[in-house]
Amino acid sequence: MARRDIPEINAGSMADIAFLLLIFFLVTTTMDRDKAYVRPIPKKVEIVIPPPDIQERDICAIIANSSNELMVRKKLVANPDDISDLILEFFRTNEKLTSEETAIGSMDPGFSGFEFPFYNRFGIDEINLRIAETTEEAEKIEEDEDADPVLIQYYWAKVKEWQKKKKALKLYGKSELPEISPQAHIRIEVQIKTGYVLFAKIQSEIEEALFELRDDAAQRIWGFGYGRIVTQLGNEPTDAEYLAKKGLLDLLYPARIIEVTPKK
Amino acid sequence: MSKFKKGGKKPAPAINTSSLPDIVFMLLFFFMVATTTKDADPTVELTQPTGVRAEDMTPFKQRSEIDFLYLGVPRNKARAESFNMGYALFLDNVAQPSPGDLYNVNTVRRWKLDKFEAKPDRMEQPIKEVITCIKADEQAPTGIIFDIRKELQEIEALKLAYAVQDNGSY
Repeated sequence: MARRDIPEINAGSMADIAFLLLIFFLVTTTMDRDKAYVRPIPKKVEIVIPPPDIQERDICAIIANSSNELMVRKKLVANPDDISDLILEFFRTNEKLTSEETAIGSMDPGFSGFEFPFYNRFGIDEINLRIAETTEEAEKIEEDEDADPVLIQYYWAKVKEWQKKKKALKLYGKSELPEISPQAHIRIEVQIKTGYVLFAKIQSEIEEALFELRDDAAQRIWGFGYGRIVTQLGNEPTDAEYLAKKGLLDLLYPARIIEVTPKK
Repeated sequence: MSKFKKGGKKPAPAINTSSLPDIVFMLLFFFMVATTTKDADPTVELTQPTGVRAEDMTPFKQRSEIDFLYLGVPRNKARAESFNMGYALFLDNVAQPSPGDLYNVNTVRRWKLDKFEAKPDRMEQPIKEVITCIKADEQAPTGIIFDIRKELQEIEALKLAYAVQDNGSY
């Protein structure tokens, strides 16, 4: 018997099936991406390491009350869009001073930048000296058998910090690494009834100011923007080169943000 | 004698639709790639505030390293009265608490731990690194957010994210 031809399969309903799938995906998915500001919550600690004295000039306090009025660095601010400019002023006023000018300025209440945080400038010799010093200190604590492990960790963290600075200085390519006063921070104080819209606006303004500062620095050092670093790390979170670059920018302009829990 | 044939109605030739499935499949793949699945259908209504330079949460979502929490006005208006300042929480449920608990700040702790338990085994991140993303309504009082923050601090889930609508990007 002769072999019969295989009959052709009717593919007419293929389009219907594909449409059905398409419509299913259209309904169950969303186009918009979730965007958010990530902020760490401080860990609860049992042993209290005495906090260092914080000078008024190192605090950039942003205060919002329950009727959504704003105060930045003790001055009333009518327009929330101005917050980012005030943060820029906070970081930039004393940034360009030399070590000598800093030493004189920080003693002189008549100095124009007296109310703003000062920068420390570290050369390579000083950093090496500090690494040696802190290592010795940490080892001494570690030998003590009664020492709290948290305390030991705290001292080793100090050593690591200086090692990080050494790397950052190398990448920075200048003789000195300017570092804002270690106590300088941005503090957000809200009240229970402050609207979330204002709280989010404050976060947005902080992020805008930090972006501008870091973008400027990235342009100066490498000739391309901070956005490129962020994008690259978004695609490849373990890229060592770009991680080091981000580390340097974080060191130059740290995002030290304290959110104060409102009182009942 | 004419050169052109007239009359004699011919039926219109059938359009070849054999490439239609290809086109539709192409559309389908585009949408599968360009969109993300909705995580939940919250029972609270909210309008997010706008902000700039916010971080994209998509990579965290893909690695299921993020939990979403909604703070808004309940859709069921009759219930709205009983909640704190007219606002309620929506937690997408793993182990469903009683309906009253669903909107309560005190449930956050258990919800977060349950969620963490339910994560896939291959996930190596400790709970400390799992982001809790709060999507809150513009007018929501910030006090509630700090209450949630305190709950998370107690269980050492130390990453919090404030969601905003961001139209610009890097």
